[in-house]
Amino acid sequence: MTTENILTVEETLRNIVKKITRKEDVVLTPTTTFKELGADSLDVVQILVALEEAFDIELVDEDLKSLNNMGAFIGYVKKKVAEKKK
Amino acid sequence: MSLKGKIALVTGGSRGIGRAITLKLASEGADVIINYFRRTSAAEATAQEARSKGVNAHIIKANVGEPEKIDEMFREIEQKFGRLDIFINNAASGVPKPALELDAKGWQWTMDINARAFLLCSQRAARLMPKGGRIVCISSLGSRMITPIYTSVGVSKAALEALTRYLAVELAPKGICVNAVAPGAVESEALKLYAEDMSLPRLSQSTPAGKLVQPEDIANLVAFLCSDECSMIIGQAIIIDGGLSLAPMS
Ligand SMILES: NC(=O)c1ccc[n+]([C@@H]2O[C@H](COP(=O)([O-])OP(=O)(O)OC[C@H]3O[C@@H](n4cnc5c(N)ncnc54)[C@H](OP(=O)(O)O)[C@@H]3O)[C@@H](O)[C@H]2O)c1
Repeated sequence: MTTENILTVEETLRNIVKKITRKEDVVLTPTTTFKELGADSLDVVQILVALEEAFDIELVDEDLKSLNNMGAFIGYVKKKVAEKKK
Repeated sequence: MSLKGKIALVTGGSRGIGRAITLKLASEGADVIINYFRRTSAAEATAQEARSKGVNAHIIKANVGEPEKIDEMFREIEQKFGRLDIFINNAASGVPKPALELDAKGWQWTMDINARAFLLCSQRAARLMPKGGRIVCISSLGSRMITPIYTSVGVSKAALEALTRYLAVELAPKGICVNAVAPGAVESEALKLYAEDMSLPRLSQSTPAGKLVQPEDIANLVAFLCSDECSMIIGQAIIIDGGLSLAPMS
């Protein structure tokens, strides 16, 4: 189990966003968008890759298109993590 | 033409043109190593299809934009296969923007994945080819012709073609032939990103051949460049575009 696995999805995501956007105060609320976090399209790709590595999951681009905010995004990641554990 | 017993690495070999190349090399008898970036399920599906042709297929997830991941990938190849006969540098990415809107980050991202990876992977691949081999990179007509938002990729492909010539001269005495293939518009998912204002029938009409290049057309050319029959084409960028560059939008 990696260190990321014992952190929650929210904590892991916050750490990754901090690292990639180089911002110290990253506040994730259910309605926050990647744009509001200061992440451009390349940052988003890097965030997705880092999450996939942290939890050993595959996030499907087609599924992601309809997820408009952090609430929906984190819910989707949690679903993938739960599926992986089965 | 037979590639029986050869071991081939195709970067970005899981989808699109890379997938067609992987399957063509497999159907000619080569064992294939499929590198990919994120979509494990697509890589597994392509590997399965390759295996159904009677060869070994192995997948490796690695972002070729990161030198450490390239190192890890080649360490795995060395441990598992011990050598390499064919290296296809196909993986590419880019930031679709006009030159005046392209920022340093987008430029660097594209150059790292498309151009620097070719250098670093070729260095490692050549070391695994003590008895000679073949290196082919997939360039693009955009290295010399202009498509509005293709700036970053077009420039990276120009670097790729220049590097092809340098590598070709350095590696020819070792029996390693290095060449580039430069496709025009290929009927693919990625094409939609750069030609969204053009319908497929209109794009097809834009080539003198009256049809778009298919991924399999690219794969056939790549397989020939990898064959023993092809040992005297060195450092060339071969255009495959249905005649588009000779008579654009005729
Ligand atoms: N399509 C065209 O019309 C056209 C025209 C001229 C030249 N080309 C060239 O042909 C080649 C293939 O293009 P395509 O249209 O088939 O592309 P594509 O459909 O977008 O496929 C890209 C492949 O590369 C992989 N990949 C992307 N970024 C990567 C990275 N950083 N590290 C490792 N693998 C990576 C992808 O893996 P995942 O799926 O896992 O992300 C996928 O297997 C490219 O060099 C492209 O520039 C294409």
